[in-house]
Amino acid sequence: MKRRLLLVSVILVLVLGLSVSALAQKKVSVLWMEYDGLTPDYALNLEKAFEEAHPEIDLNIISTPWDEGHDRLITFIAGGQPPDLAVIGTRWLLELLDMDVVEPIEDWLSEDLINNIDPALMEGKIGGVLYGLPVAAGTRLLYYRSDLVDKAPETYEEMLEMALKIHNPDQKFHAVGMSGQKYVELTEHAYYLFGNDGYYFEMLPDGTYGKCTVNDEAGIGAMTFMNDLVNTHKVTQPGVTAYRRDELQDLFIAGNLGFFMSGGFTATMLEQRGATFEWDVAPIPHFEGKPQSSLIVTDSIVLFKDSKVKEEASKFLDFFYSDPWRLEFDKLIGFPPVTKSLADDPHFQTPVYQVLIEQIPGSKGWPLIAEWPECNDIIWDNIVAAFLEQKTPEQAMNDAAQEIDSIRGM
Amino acid sequence: MNVYLGGCAPQINILGVGNSTTMEVIKVARPGKFWKTESALAYFLLLPALVFLILFMFYPIVYVFFMSFFKVNKLAELVSFSGLDNYRYMFAKPEFWQIIVRSCVWTALAVAAKTVIGLIIALLLNVDFRGRKIARTLTIIPWASSVPISAMIWQWTYNSDFGLLNYTLQKLGIMSNPPIWLAYPRSAFFACLWVDIWCGIPFMALVFLAGLQAIPQELYEAAEVDGAGSLAKFRSVTLPLLSGVLTIATLLSILWTFNDFNVIYILTTGGPGTSTDILITYIYKYAFQYLRFGPAAAMAVITFAILLTVSIIYARNYFRGGEVL
Repeated sequence: MKRRLLLVSVILVLVLGLSVSALAQKKVSVLWMEYDGLTPDYALNLEKAFEEAHPEIDLNIISTPWDEGHDRLITFIAGGQPPDLAVIGTRWLLELLDMDVVEPIEDWLSEDLINNIDPALMEGKIGGVLYGLPVAAGTRLLYYRSDLVDKAPETYEEMLEMALKIHNPDQKFHAVGMSGQKYVELTEHAYYLFGNDGYYFEMLPDGTYGKCTVNDEAGIGAMTFMNDLVNTHKVTQPGVTAYRRDELQDLFIAGNLGFFMSGGFTATMLEQRGATFEWDVAPIPHFEGKPQSSLIVTDSIVLFKDSKVKEEASKFLDFFYSDPWRLEFDKLIGFPPVTKSLADDPHFQTPVYQVLIEQIPGSKGWPLIAEWPECNDIIWDNIVAAFLEQKTPEQAMNDAAQEIDSIRGM
Repeated sequence: MNVYLGGCAPQINILGVGNSTTMEVIKVARPGKFWKTESALAYFLLLPALVFLILFMFYPIVYVFFMSFFKVNKLAELVSFSGLDNYRYMFAKPEFWQIIVRSCVWTALAVAAKTVIGLIIALLLNVDFRGRKIARTLTIIPWASSVPISAMIWQWTYNSDFGLLNYTLQKLGIMSNPPIWLAYPRSAFFACLWVDIWCGIPFMALVFLAGLQAIPQELYEAAEVDGAGSLAKFRSVTLPLLSGVLTIATLLSILWTFNDFNVIYILTTGGPGTSTDILITYIYKYAFQYLRFGPAAAMAVITFAILLTVSIIYARNYFRGGEVL
């Protein structure tokens, strides 16, 4: 009887102890984006390791595919349940500031951490205040089949010349990959537009964005070239409007594309999936007589005002930005490091990273305007209309610019 | 045997033994005031459901109505009264009208196809044949699996490079150069439509099958005696007796199909361009991608009005026909 009583008492104490410790734990939720190349194991291991290091904190990493990330975050916010931290495309930051939901993250970062970030990558600094801590930043690359062409094209005109030679649709081999289905951002268009020295908006002297300029000479020139690749020279994969960006990547990895522009993560994917052909990378081409310019994409981590565990969230950031975890993260996603302490790591001295880094000075980022998601869709719909030959490239870009200016009240 | 429920409890003579010769129903218990009547208890038991409905149905609907007449910020909070501005904004967009027409065409075609195919399958499954149980089970599969997963499987199936559909068409020699299904507005629309039909057929077939099994066999025998052929039996016995089930099933199908977000969003996200967008996907874009909750709410109210009108017309016809559930 005594033994039973003792056993019951021990169990009760254990259960109570566990309950109390569970109640004492503070919960930190992180909306986490699934980068290409980033394995699910990474997030699971990070969560486990952090909780072992900080038993007082219950970390909940909510993994989300990139193309659903924005809408999921908005749903959380609109429902009054934002996570504590979220990985975002830095271009969403203006929208979040407009909603007044993000906290100046700089107030919660340790000095060591903030000093370890390359200031050039702090796109999430708005009005001198850092709201978004860079989590990934990288330019884009031209991937090409080095077994089929002698050297990488420097200009789009050269790329077309080579494409006409290697295009072989009968063998399901297409020279240039082009996407026409919406997938996060209209990156394809940015490669051609920036390569023609164009941009989406005129920049006003006060640093704000003026009228939409996709219908200026550079914009129409870029769109005309893209349309010619699809409809005149027909050197892209057929039915471009059915392809998302990630599907093009699969096509290149499967050996069905000659030229394809993407981020550093494609190199990781090519290695992970054991591509059997020879490939190489080069800077994004530009049009003849125009400066080379790549798209630079930065993603940031933001802290939400409603978070009741800002200190604990800050501890997670310190943990995640420690060298071992950041190195593994950067390796998997194929972006150059955002932390200074990893800049000299041997892993980042390969040709892929060299090209990614050397393009940074002339590169351009996405416009930081609150209405960008809608502007993005308007431009994309008009590009598709041109690809489907419902509009001429000029008409498509004129319509896009007019509609964008109209929704922005210009 | 008299059953007593308490000191001043009622007595119910159940077996009619003892001094009573007739059934005595007698005094009812007198618990607290609230429990005086059965309806009070019923209301009490219904209360949780009522609260749930108010919170999750009535409140959101009313709030969406309000939003449609207000300027709304990006957190979906009402800012200032704007009258019909949100409606005017949407009505001024030619694309909006195209999407309304497309939503109606989408619903009409999908429901018609689901009804016809569902009815044919139900008639076949109602015939006694070997393996009928297996056939019935197989019919349920598309309905048993979740729509988003079905849509994702179809997305892979339609893939022009690695998809099963084009591979099969080529291997069987049916098409040497099959279309890229999701690349062009018309083929993408019909590709989405087929997936919606595929997902919806089992429900229709099962409901119709239940309806068919409720039709007395004697009626068919009587019709046979009168010399009716298969077609005449179908026209004069099956269809009239199935009309109630048809009405309800098609009404439900209209409501679900008109609001079928999953299939279109997963397969095409409304593209190419906006060529496969229907009202529900368009509302989603405005609300959760552009954070323009005002116009989105106006569209939601318009959708509500369209579906309410259809439901009222259906209900009137249904009850005029004397059918009661």
